[in-house]
Order: sequence, then C-alpha cells, then structure tokens
Amino acid sequence: MIRALFSAASGMNAQQLNVDNIANNIANANTNGFKSRRAQFQDLMYQNMIQPGAAASQQSVVPTGLQLGLGTRSVSNEIIFTQGDFSETDNPLDVVIQGNGFFQIQQTSGQLAYTKSGSFHLNNTGQVVTANGEALQPPITIPQGAQSVTIAADGTVSYTLAGQTAAQQAGQIQLANFANPSGLNSVGDSLFLPTDASGSPITGAPGGQEGMGSLLQGYVEQSNVSVVQEFINLIVSQRAYEANSKVVKAADDMYQQVNNLKQ
Amino acid sequence: MDQISVIAASGLSARMQSLELLANNMANASTNGFKGDGEFYTVYTSEAADADESGVPTTLPMIQRQWTDFAQGLLEPTNNPLDFGLSGKGLFTIQGPSGPLYTRNGNFHISADGTLLASDGLPVLLRDDQPVKLDPTLPVEVSPDGEVKQQGQTLGQLKLVQFKDTSVLLKQGNNYYRNIGDQEPAEAVNTEVHQGNIEGSNVSAAHGAVRLVGVMRQFEMMQKAISISNDMGRKAIEEVAKL
Repeated sequence: MIRALFSAASGMNAQQLNVDNIANNIANANTNGFKSRRAQFQDLMYQNMIQPGAAASQQSVVPTGLQLGLGTRSVSNEIIFTQGDFSETDNPLDVVIQGNGFFQIQQTSGQLAYTKSGSFHLNNTGQVVTANGEALQPPITIPQGAQSVTIAADGTVSYTLAGQTAAQQAGQIQLANFANPSGLNSVGDSLFLPTDASGSPITGAPGGQEGMGSLLQGYVEQSNVSVVQEFINLIVSQRAYEANSKVVKAADDMYQQVNNLKQ
Repeated sequence: MDQISVIAASGLSARMQSLELLANNMANASTNGFKGDGEFYTVYTSEAADADESGVPTTLPMIQRQWTDFAQGLLEPTNNPLDFGLSGKGLFTIQGPSGPLYTRNGNFHISADGTLLASDGLPVLLRDDQPVKLDPTLPVEVSPDGEVKQQGQTLGQLKLVQFKDTSVLLKQGNNYYRNIGDQEPAEAVNTEVHQGNIEGSNVSAAHGAVRLVGVMRQFEMMQKAISISNDMGRKAIEEVAKL
C-alpha cells in the first residue's frame, strides 16, 4: 500500500519535471538557435512478490510471478537537433547553418564553446563576436570603413573597402560537428560544451564532405520549438499528474478504511 | 477469527496489491514503450479443506500473478532520426550485461565511437548479434523492416523478435524485459520500425480511473463485510447470551 503512494509520488515528480522542461521550451520559443529538449522516463525496479518458477505444488511451478512495479524515474531530457525555421533579417552578420554544424566560439575563459545561433556583431576592433562579445573562431576581423560584408556558402568572408572595386578576403568560417550532439552540455547563452558522451569536435569548412552544412547570409535560425506540440504535451502531462494524484487519494482513502476497521 | 473476516481480509490485501499495480501503471503514463500490467485473481483452497468433503471449503481470493498488456502504444512523431517507434508485436534486442534484454523503447543514441545505444547506454543488436556501428557524421536511415542504412549502404538489420507466449517476459525496470522461459524468441512478423516516431506508454488515464474506482469500491465492500461480521459477533455475545 505504501508502495502505491510512493509509485504515484514518483509519477507526480516525473510529470513535474516534464512540465519544467516544457516551460523552458516555451520560454525559449523566440530564442534564435535554441534547440528544444524532450524529457525521457523509465520504469523503476520491480518487486517480486511471487517468484516466477517457484514451486506452486509438488508437481507444478508458477509459470509467471507477481511483480509489483515501484514507479517511474526521469532519465534524461535530450536535445532535439532538428533545424529551426529561417527568418530573413538582411543583416550581413546574421548567418544560419543549413545542416548539422556548430559555430565555434572562444569564451572569455579561453575554452571553445559551440553554438547554432549565428547572430554576430563587430566589436570595437572590428572582430566578429557574438551578442555577448565572445569571438568567433577562427578569428575574423573586418576593418573599419568596409562597405559590404559577404559571407559565402562555404564560409569565406569578404568585404570591399570604400573606393575600391576588388573584394578582400577576411578569412573562412570553420564549423564543428559531434558524433553524438545529444550528449552536449548546455551552458546557457545558446552555447554548448563538448562532453565524453558527445565525443570530440570534428571541424571542417561549411559545405564540405564532413556534412557540416553550408552557410546562408542574412538569415537567422529560429528556435525549433513547436508551440502547438508543447501545449499538447503540457495538457497530457497535466492530466497524467492529476491521474497520479487520484491514486494518492485512493490509497489514502483505502488506508483510512483499514484504520476504521477497529471501531 | 470468524470465516467472513478472514475471507474479507484476504480480499482487502488483494485489492491493495491491485492498487499498487495500478499506481505503477499511472506513474509510467509518460514512459516511452511502457506496457501496463493487469492482475490475475485466483482462489486459494487449502489442502485440508479440499480433502474435507463435508463442510464448505475455505477459499480465499488472492492475486496469483500479473500479466502485461502488450497492446500497441500511440506512435508520437518526434522528428528525431534516432527515435524508432515499433508497430506490431516485435521487440528490439539489446545487449545486456548478462544475456539479451528486450525493449519497446526505441529512443536510441549514438556513442562517441558510433555505436547505436539504448537510452541507458547498452548497445542495440543486429540480427547477427553484433552492435550497430555507424559513421556518426552521416545521416542514418532505418527502413520499416529494420534495415539500417547510411548513404545507401546497408549496415545490417535490427534484431526484432517476438514471443509466442509473452508471459515469459519479466520486467526488469528501465523499460527492459528479460526472457525467463526456455522459449527461443522468433523473428518478428508484421512489425514495422517507424523512424522519427516514438511509441508512447499504452496506459490510458481513463481506463486507469475506471479501475481505480472499481478497486476502491470493492475495498469498501470488503471493509463493510468485516464490520457486519464484527457486529454479528458482538450481537451474539451481548444479546443472545442475555437472559
């Protein structure tokens, strides 16, 4: 009986985590380059009340036993790396990756981080940086007075200076990819860090053989959160929470009746 | 104790176990590939009562075993190329630490070295009992019959099995089943792999609520039976003996 209470409580906990996860997805529905997460659950251990194969009598054995499950637990909330929609911005430093690659960002700590969000800016020295001022790797510098900046599908960044007709190359953007992107560690600010589970980054030029995907200038990648889907999940999750709370209530009522047996 | 109370108490404890099974089902309403459990009631007849032909034998209701309802769960599209939903009776084969494990949860991952893993890191097996080795940089395609392909090249076929008698499958936790019978699994028929979908739990909240009401009312009836039997006992002592 106590088992019923704890199983139902584990179910309520799981649904609570599910709602937390849905809330974060919906909150980031307008975050460029955000990738939604989905919570995963597993059933817990089973308690064998009657061991299958135990002797039922001298001649026969129990064909299947009585196993009582002990509830559920949350295992992971994996990142879903599907492509978000592209929206046009006409900003020359907005770039999207049409494929699996990540931009490499040098954090202030010196560590490399990876992002899908390609809204870049120039800092006071003309270097291409993220909204937080962290530099794109390999570093690309656009000199002052550059008239137009062009980022080609293969990552080549070029610009023309005032009064000149020939374009100058500023460098080539390199992308990184991982064996298991779902194993990346989200650190906020749309950045991911590699882990043992994700594997080491494999770098390459956009549009190359490594399947990084090519670049598209003047667009940003919106989040891949489907608000409709999240709302459906929210309803399902809320109902499941309610069902589990009903089980708690039922177990409590039954307990009360047991206590009332002695008048 | 009198017979009514003993029988009703046995019924009470059986309903408690029913509620425990139901609580586990409801708790796993969001577990991918989870299959709900039901219970089998039986009547316990004591051997002494069996032999005694004259009187009413002592029979007690009890739960003998549970059965797992392997009905199809709803396939939910996730757009994740590493989610595989199954339709039909088949099960994925996973390389467990001691022998094969079976699961309906097709939420797989690729390890850093390209092995296809189940959600807790055990390798998924192909028909030749080898783990699936993928090139992590290339997209994966799995056809409905379980053939794993990368860029048109076949890497093998997922080992999908089915059991004639599913009662040999013992729940292990973590969405796994273990084969405890001596029945060899057969190759799954009429089973399709749906890439980019995941099979939800087959527990229905509505069905659970109905069973919950049933269990509670039956519990209440048993409790009433014990109260009545108590009253009768008390009356017998207090009133019949009164002169």
